Amino acid sequence: MPGWRVKLLPWALIAPTAVFALAMTVLPLVYSVLTSLQEFPLGRAPVFVGLQNYQNLLHDANFGRSLATTLIFTIVATAVEFVLGLALALLLKEEFAFQGIIRSSLIIPMVIAPVVVGIIWRLLYNADVGLFSFAVQALTGRSFSVLSSTTMALPALIVVDIWEWTPFMFLILLAGIQSLPLEPFEAARVDGASPWNIFVHLTLPMLKPVIVVALLIRALDAFTVFDQVFVLTQGGPGTATEVATLMIYKTAFRFSQFGYGASMAIALLALVLSFSAAVTRAFKGSV
Amino acid sequence: MRLLTSNTQKRRLWFVTRLFLIVLALTITLLPVYWMVNTSLKTQVEIFASPPTLWSQNPTVENYVNLFTRRHLGAYLLNSVIIVGSAVFVSLVIGSLAAYSLARFGKDRLQQKLNFWVLAPRMIPPVALVVPLFLILQQFGLINKPLGLILVYTAFNLPFVAWMMRSFFQEIPVDLEEAAMVDGASRLRSFRDIVLPLAAPGLVATAIFSLIITYNEFFFALILTSTPRAATLPVGTAALIGKTQTLYGEMAAAGVVAAVPLVIFALLVQRHLVRGLTMGAVK
Repeated sequence: MPGWRVKLLPWALIAPTAVFALAMTVLPLVYSVLTSLQEFPLGRAPVFVGLQNYQNLLHDANFGRSLATTLIFTIVATAVEFVLGLALALLLKEEFAFQGIIRSSLIIPMVIAPVVVGIIWRLLYNADVGLFSFAVQALTGRSFSVLSSTTMALPALIVVDIWEWTPFMFLILLAGIQSLPLEPFEAARVDGASPWNIFVHLTLPMLKPVIVVALLIRALDAFTVFDQVFVLTQGGPGTATEVATLMIYKTAFRFSQFGYGASMAIALLALVLSFSAAVTRAFKGSV
Repeated sequence: MRLLTSNTQKRRLWFVTRLFLIVLALTITLLPVYWMVNTSLKTQVEIFASPPTLWSQNPTVENYVNLFTRRHLGAYLLNSVIIVGSAVFVSLVIGSLAAYSLARFGKDRLQQKLNFWVLAPRMIPPVALVVPLFLILQQFGLINKPLGLILVYTAFNLPFVAWMMRSFFQEIPVDLEEAAMVDGASRLRSFRDIVLPLAAPGLVATAIFSLIITYNEFFFALILTSTPRAATLPVGTAALIGKTQTLYGEMAAAGVVAAVPLVIFALLVQRHLVRGLTMGAVK
């Protein structure tokens, strides 16, 4: 093979992927910024409005509330999933009977389509036929629809997320724990360290890189949650569960305000990227 | 002697506690799934029975039959197979080439920058791209057409495929290829005859992974497709919820149809699940 062909090969191999990434990611992003500077009056050509959409966004109490809802959802869900996932991983890290079947069963919620997860919980939460509602009625004596309650709908959605994604934390933390070297643990045991001390001073610090990756991935996904909310509450009752992605969806595709929707999406992107950059920088040494 | 008994007792107590916690976790995980399957096999009358019946008193497949005869579930399923199949195939071919390049020549500084650009799209939340992609595809007349969604899914699979295959390629010793090239085989030939066969298990795992991600994808499918002509199974299923209102049996049956193939696939690639979920960050 002539020299220039050898030199070109690495680039040629990567070119199709790069072109796709450019056409379907970079180009739309640029287009998105342009869109966010426009207004889309019904039936007429889009009008350039400068930073008007962003100005409106700053004073839009609905968007602020939507972000707050999303933040609560993300923090509570991720934190609970982490604690439960870690507990499960510690519980199941040693060899025991049927461990293959048990582990496989535990990860099922995670691989079921989010839309189907929505259906599953509709069948549980529903006021007239739901198993959950039946239990509540049996205990409290009154009929209660969780998803139509302004105070309970968001916690109910968080429960769904915890059910669906604790397996993710479990699986990643388990893999992390199992890949830790054995020697420090044996040494600590010989020295008579208590299981709690071993956990706090050995397991957790050594597991830190894995924990950071798991928390970051999960938090970013939770922050843009959509499917389950769409299927279960559509953001309701009122706007009690209107997470950011759902609000953008409604703004752009129900009310055809593409410009305003795009500006919200850009704001959300900026938040997500600065968050990941901050986390990555803070843990640069350990990840 | 006392010490010994208390130790045995302690161990026994821990064993029972552990067993209890495992059973509890399994119940919480599986009961909701079982409830969907159970509901899908009940008649409309039995679904509304109070107290609810723990298993169907006279199991029926009526809900499933209705889905295919009245609710276009067959069409949605076919759309999903076509769209997901094409996107996974194309992204696997293109992405593996990029992955090989990243694994073998990735030390170059310029190339390292490129690594970032291959991965970057994965960091961008889908919602940031959905408005422009909708407007662009609309201009090309690709809304509610399978091709539109195939393009989008291929693009979203690519970074994933490239990074996952890269970690598989890196595990194959370079010596094997170099030996072949010393014997006169070209780089591409040694890739085809030596690297690809060795990477086959990884290729299968990656394929199943992108299959799971695309098959379950809802957000883009909802916005870019709408009718049985192009809509995928998740969209069809979600539309059903709106249309059927209280036909919980059909809703449950649609959920079962959508979930079963994927659960089977996922259990097949369990070994690689962690690598896939973290894009190679944790093995």
